[in-house]
Amino acid sequence: MADMPVQQPPGRIVLPPYRQRASRPFSVRAREWIRRNLFPSTSGTVLTIVAAAVLGLLFIGLIWFVFVDANWRIVTVNRWLLFAGGFPREEAWRLWVGMGFVFMLIGLTYGTWSSFGRRDHIFVAVAGAFVVFIMAHGGAAIWSTVWFLLAVGVMYLSYAVTVRIPRELGPARTLQQRVVGGLLAASLPLALVILLSGGANVRQLDGFVLNLVLAPVGIVGGLVIAIPLAIGRASSMKTISWTCTAYIEVVRGAPLLGWLFVALFILDDVIGGELIVRAMVVMAVFTGAYMAESIRGALQALPGGQFEAAHAVGLSRMQALRLIILPQALRISIPPIVGQAIAIWKDTTLVTVILPLRELKGNADSAIAQTEFIDDRIEAYVFVALVFWAVAFMMSRISQRIERTLGVGER
Amino acid sequence: MTTHAGVGEASADGDRLADSSDIIIAENVDKWFGDFQALDDVTMTVKEHEIVVILGPSGSGKSTFIRCLNRLEEHDAGRIVIDNIEMNDDVRNLNAIRSEVGMVFQQFNLFPHLSVLSNITLGPQKVRHMPKAEAQHLAMQHLERVGIPEQADKYPAQLSGGQQQRVAIARALAMQPKIMLFDEPTSALDPEMIKEVLDVMRELAESGMTMIVVTHEMGFAREVADRLVFFDEGALVEQGTPQHFFENPEEERTKLFLSQIL
Repeated sequence: MADMPVQQPPGRIVLPPYRQRASRPFSVRAREWIRRNLFPSTSGTVLTIVAAAVLGLLFIGLIWFVFVDANWRIVTVNRWLLFAGGFPREEAWRLWVGMGFVFMLIGLTYGTWSSFGRRDHIFVAVAGAFVVFIMAHGGAAIWSTVWFLLAVGVMYLSYAVTVRIPRELGPARTLQQRVVGGLLAASLPLALVILLSGGANVRQLDGFVLNLVLAPVGIVGGLVIAIPLAIGRASSMKTISWTCTAYIEVVRGAPLLGWLFVALFILDDVIGGELIVRAMVVMAVFTGAYMAESIRGALQALPGGQFEAAHAVGLSRMQALRLIILPQALRISIPPIVGQAIAIWKDTTLVTVILPLRELKGNADSAIAQTEFIDDRIEAYVFVALVFWAVAFMMSRISQRIERTLGVGER
Repeated sequence: MTTHAGVGEASADGDRLADSSDIIIAENVDKWFGDFQALDDVTMTVKEHEIVVILGPSGSGKSTFIRCLNRLEEHDAGRIVIDNIEMNDDVRNLNAIRSEVGMVFQQFNLFPHLSVLSNITLGPQKVRHMPKAEAQHLAMQHLERVGIPEQADKYPAQLSGGQQQRVAIARALAMQPKIMLFDEPTSALDPEMIKEVLDVMRELAESGMTMIVVTHEMGFAREVADRLVFFDEGALVEQGTPQHFFENPEEERTKLFLSQIL
């Protein structure tokens, strides 16, 4: 074979030196990378040294604060206050059941539409170790730790079961998607029932639990409000489009703080009910206005030919919206919608400012007010910030995962 | 075949009575976009199994006209009757017409979030309420007809332009329409893909489908069309057999257009 001239490549192509990086040893490439990126010139070298010094000092300061200077007892002693505040301890099973349910859903969802990667395992391990560390520190009842670990176990178990079902289209796959999708859709109402079905003392949600309830209600409720609003604003019927536009402009025109005042005073006369329910309504109404604009932008970005093609195969206007337009528009608007979700997640802290409701940050304020911990406010707020960041980061990662999963076949 | 030329002359008077074999009847159709008149008193009929190719410079109203035939555009005056169904504001009539008229677009307009197979089964399942298995069987038959059954599980973006347009044709055919409208089906395609789409259309024409085709493919027009229709400035200027059209066109505007394009 070797002497057949046809099989030979037409002359060996010699790459210029700057294209040959891959063939050179790692040490040479590393040295070149360092020189080019860190010490390219005199001024660059100075900048690198200054930046390294500043970052190094910050890092040392952080390590010193976390492991030497800080008094984390404010967090460990007050962990129940921060987590559930005035929520009665004898009703705590509702929280554990809710947590187990949410963890199971996460496992099912990943097992059905995605898969755990190495990063996900690392995140679970780090966050889990953090939670266990806080609970074990200062002698918490061992049961909370057990319940938490049990929930993580449920998550991995439901993941392991669902991920084994083959992804090929078929009756089994369809059933799996329907069941898990149905559970997801039912999860929020179900969780609210579990949490709120008890007496008045149970409904007094408190601490981190309150954030964890308010934000999903705001996000899901907002989405439910936003979809018809966005479609209505694009309607050719003036009364409908004007009404939707007015809603969006009025709600966006005032800050969330203002609307929480409305929940406190005006809504009390109009719909009455529990304060927490009114806060949920305001959260959803407020988020809905912002999300509607994101979805409207996506609707406008779709080529007009999609509607025409849907009509041409005989779909009615409603069918075209439901089957053709909305699936595409919602996919496009995932990034801005997740942006809104993260914003409302952090805005749940505002309920403490206006309403006599105490969420995580509000209860951190209470912890600081204890004479024993009067000097430890930084520790408390750093902890609160870390918790908020972890959840926001998780939302952002999940959104990226959804985008990638749905991106199949996209232009 | 000279009768078609005769139709053209008569339609100028607008008083020709429709006969029962006409599946499409358009009488004195006007269409305005704001102050711009896109269609100016267009009268035209199409018989069952007839292949009509519409020619004309861009902006002459030819696309607007066929879009009026399944009401992607609403005509402002005149009358359109498809297979004895009057085109009016009655939604039931509109749905009946749309399920009889298939349309293929210049930009394909496939649904990018659905697989090729789902693109085709959507209409039969949702509009005709066909069971899923039956719809998929039908879809595979049409994919075989257009020559790409192996692409069924791909997404539109994974196909070439020519393949996408063939899927679009299969999607329209799956509704089992009596009439197919083609709005410049090869204009967005790379040259090497035009033939595969035209071959599918040729096969469709031979099977007896009633077709109206807006195109600039003169070879296709000459070979396949029963009748050519020339539009200019929103008006139907001249119509006749390909022979009449290419060999001795009567109108000055037709001659000018043909001299520019041939």
